[in-house]
Amino acid sequence: MLRVPLTRAICLTHSSRVLVTASARLQSNIPAKAPEKVEVFIDDQPVMVAPGTTVLQAAAQIGVEIPRFCYHERLAVAGNCRMCLVEVEKSPKPVAACAMPVMKGWRIKTNSEMTRKAREGVMEFLLANHPLDCPICDQGGECDLQDQAMVFGSDRSRFTDIDHAGKRAVEDKDIGPLVKTIMTRCIHCTRCIRFASEIAGVDDFGTTGRGNEMQVGTYVEKLFLTELSGNVIDLCPVGALTNKPYSFSARPWEVRKIDSIDVLDALGSNIVVSTRTGEVLRILPRENEDINEEWLSDKSRFACDGLKRQRLITPMLRKPNGELEAVEWETALIGVAQAVQNAGDKVAAVAGSLVDAEQLIAVKDLLNRLGSELLCTEQKFPTADGTSGTDFRSNYLLNSSIAACEEADLVLLVGTNPRYEAPLLNTRLRKGYVHKEQDIALIGPKVDLSYRYEHLGNSSSIVQDIASGKHPFAQRLKSAKRPLVIVGANALSRSDGKAFLAGLHSFANQLTPEDKNWKVWNVLQTNASQVAALDMGYKAGVEEIVAAGPKVLFLLGADGGAINKDNIPKDCFVVYLGHHGDNGAPLAHAILPGAAYTEKQATYVNTEGRAQQTLVAITPPGMARDDWKIIRALSEVIGTSLPYDNLDEIRDRLEDVAPHLVRYGRLEENNFYAQAAQLAKLQASSLQGDIDVKQRTLADFFMTDSISRASPTMAKCVQAVKKAQATA
Amino acid sequence: MAAKEPVKRVIQQVRPILSLDRDEARRRVLNLYKAWYRTIPFIVDKFDIPKSEEQCKSKLREMFLRHKEVSDVRVIDMLVIKGQMELKECTKQWKQKGHVMNYWQETVEPKPADFLSKFMSGQN
Amino acid sequence: MLSRSKLLFPSIARNIRCISKSATNLSDNLFVHRDTPEDNPNIPFEFDEENKRRIKAILNNYPEGHKRGAMIPLLDLAQRQVGWLPISAMHKVAEVLGLPNMRVYEVATFYTMFLRKPTGTYHVQVCTTTPCWLKGSDEILDACKRKLGIGVGETTKDMKFTISEVECLGACVNAPMIAVNDDYYEDLSVKDTEEILDSLAKGQQPKAGPRNGRFASEPAAGLTSLTTEPPGPGFGVQSGL
Repeated sequence: MLRVPLTRAICLTHSSRVLVTASARLQSNIPAKAPEKVEVFIDDQPVMVAPGTTVLQAAAQIGVEIPRFCYHERLAVAGNCRMCLVEVEKSPKPVAACAMPVMKGWRIKTNSEMTRKAREGVMEFLLANHPLDCPICDQGGECDLQDQAMVFGSDRSRFTDIDHAGKRAVEDKDIGPLVKTIMTRCIHCTRCIRFASEIAGVDDFGTTGRGNEMQVGTYVEKLFLTELSGNVIDLCPVGALTNKPYSFSARPWEVRKIDSIDVLDALGSNIVVSTRTGEVLRILPRENEDINEEWLSDKSRFACDGLKRQRLITPMLRKPNGELEAVEWETALIGVAQAVQNAGDKVAAVAGSLVDAEQLIAVKDLLNRLGSELLCTEQKFPTADGTSGTDFRSNYLLNSSIAACEEADLVLLVGTNPRYEAPLLNTRLRKGYVHKEQDIALIGPKVDLSYRYEHLGNSSSIVQDIASGKHPFAQRLKSAKRPLVIVGANALSRSDGKAFLAGLHSFANQLTPEDKNWKVWNVLQTNASQVAALDMGYKAGVEEIVAAGPKVLFLLGADGGAINKDNIPKDCFVVYLGHHGDNGAPLAHAILPGAAYTEKQATYVNTEGRAQQTLVAITPPGMARDDWKIIRALSEVIGTSLPYDNLDEIRDRLEDVAPHLVRYGRLEENNFYAQAAQLAKLQASSLQGDIDVKQRTLADFFMTDSISRASPTMAKCVQAVKKAQATA
Repeated sequence: MAAKEPVKRVIQQVRPILSLDRDEARRRVLNLYKAWYRTIPFIVDKFDIPKSEEQCKSKLREMFLRHKEVSDVRVIDMLVIKGQMELKECTKQWKQKGHVMNYWQETVEPKPADFLSKFMSGQN
Repeated sequence: MLSRSKLLFPSIARNIRCISKSATNLSDNLFVHRDTPEDNPNIPFEFDEENKRRIKAILNNYPEGHKRGAMIPLLDLAQRQVGWLPISAMHKVAEVLGLPNMRVYEVATFYTMFLRKPTGTYHVQVCTTTPCWLKGSDEILDACKRKLGIGVGETTKDMKFTISEVECLGACVNAPMIAVNDDYYEDLSVKDTEEILDSLAKGQQPKAGPRNGRFASEPAAGLTSLTTEPPGPGFGVQSGL
């Protein structure tokens, strides 16, 4: 359990990997005997633990916290900071709790004189070379070193610098536009190195030199180019790695912290939004074992400065001369209402990628009252006859749940690049690959997934071969114990997407995993709004709207480009409802400014079908309003008031439509796989052409939606990556 | 069961603030009214407000009658205390002209009640 | 004043113990890489044929999955081939072992005997640790500097000599000494040093070892113990046996 050499984490060669895999498989086939528990005493409290448990873990079991810098639950044990030294009775020296497995009957003293002195000594040495720049350090107030120095450090200093020789100083590194480094503050815990190597899969960090000269860095000048780089900021126990966009802007005790949900990808990572004076200052991850563990992708973390730029702050109406004019809400609502009343039932709505469930239901109710059923999402999903399409929830969800993805033993990725479409799902897959002997194969363009995978090719005929069982990989999937098929939503949005869906889904249902409840068929959505919209009965894809030629068209933050000037009638009155004046806004005849995800209490359903809610961190800027309230107000002006006035009432309505939408945090079981597969018979239409993904490299990752496109930090990232790629 | 009895009694017999019964409370109210009534000429004079004594007196009457439905002795006492405080603030000139004029003018707009006006004003 | 207070409170003066910092001794090496015309990743590096055979043999010593254990021997091969360890050689080693470059940088920067900057054909390492210093290593170092016209850590223009000051090389009994590449020259005088450098400059290979007539590390003035013939079998055994 301890110090497992992560051979797969660092080996780039193929040959060595296979052998390791084989030997580990051999071991894993032997059924493990349930190990007997051993009793140890921590501060004279008895505790029963499994053999191999470390002293630190055993202490944590009874709530005794041992100070540490280098130890981290999700990283390999390093044991180099020595802060966790504790006394073990009859042991002449203190032992490092994080790396020492307990032995039967050990009496561990976490509060004895020896332990105290050991801690004070370690702290004294750490501080001897740590700069005293806390007043200008961004970590101040949330610094492990500060906190532990206060609790465990000595109360007086023996450090004298009478020669003014200065402390050890280390040159700062430039590792990119997101992470600021002040390397003199580094205490060499090597957490960032282990994170980069084990979790991000980018082995760019290391320690160079030794002794007093040792430094953490990249040795060569190199940017830390990964989609997870922000996490080293959280991991760093001191202020050596800090948040560059957030630097010098606030102290942790002066910000308000609001728990929320990220919507920039479809995973719904749990976040904490830090705000001060009505501004989102930074976003931090919140621990959720089922979704993001404690990581967060760079886009979710750093795109928050896009929330205060390019915002729509007043309602606008297009004047006859074609200019948009800022107007009062009253005028705007009356303008839109007139257009809607003149349109009769020729009203349609397109939902973009960041729309919440409350808004979706309000729009749906309004349009249904007006006699229209033209409600679509921007992203396509195969729905045509012969396939079950979006009727069954299991068709469009990541059924096996995000957490279970690491348990699979064979994964087939089709038309997706999880590294950039859902970075935290990719860390799960990498975790499975590194720790649990998972094998992964990909159909699609050859991309860097941060782990080795089998590239089956990018022709869609391979999908057909696998679906019909002809391809050798199909056999491997059939013999796998816990196979997974993960299909990207973008692959399904192709014109021949239904063949994808039909073929792979029925194939996935033929597989017989060991566990009957294991779900093979998974769709990786890319839009935070898609699942909620499909759950509510929105149709995927805008063909129907284009065919119908509506007189009034609501764009609910639809910036993806599915609707453009050419595919809607000339006289169509377009209403843009959203928070950023992005691609959809120039089309609009009326613009109604809505709230972004940090500004409203709203429901989002992630790709595994888990409903979660964001909370209000700040108020919407200017005259912007909660989106569903805009629709509600509009309905009143039109003359068909929607029957809900507040959040509770609209959530009651949500519950009526789909009860799972208000069961926050819970994952609902999906069902009807067999029926879905029965309907999804292999289409005669064959697959053609190559499979492509939208986000191939890191440069494609940073700007994918209206918020990140407005973010200057994300723009800097794209620039930095492009520059690095050009020189490499 | 036994424990409930004393609790009940305490709930029934609350501790008086000032007055023991309604008569006493009534006396206090009248005293306060008289005190205000006699102070009004000085208020009009000192604060130099654009109101006549008659207007002030009718305002005084109005303010007292606003609470004519109050029957709880404790509430009456509380109102009397508040009235005395106001009176003191006026006589000692802790209030300023504007504060006194507030009796005639409502400066706070009423909160919007229906959905649409709440929406327009941006209040929830 | 201070001394008086020390006299007054001797116990206090004794109990205050400071972490006294010695002068910060810094390595003359950089622990980050800077591209230079002599050393940058664009300069190609390839092991020669002989070394390729050696690599094969070295790699065979390590079981599959633990090939990274061969890193130090491989780095050493590269250093012997070039005379020092350019960054492209580290990259080559990383490629051979299938490891990320960073893992090789870590090892190469940890060991001081991996020379990461251009170094002369003859790496003159002068020991200046206490025993050598007592026996006059300062003069030896001065002689080297004077002779070659360069300072410590520098290389002659013809890329033939580099002087470094090193810590104990484990030849204290033959102090003072210098090591030139793999050869130890011991029991040196200033004259010996100059001779050695001269013959190296001419391309000759002076004989390694002590210069004062000793064979190895035996006492210079003859043996002081074990001077008699060793006694035969049965020596000192009780007569009854």
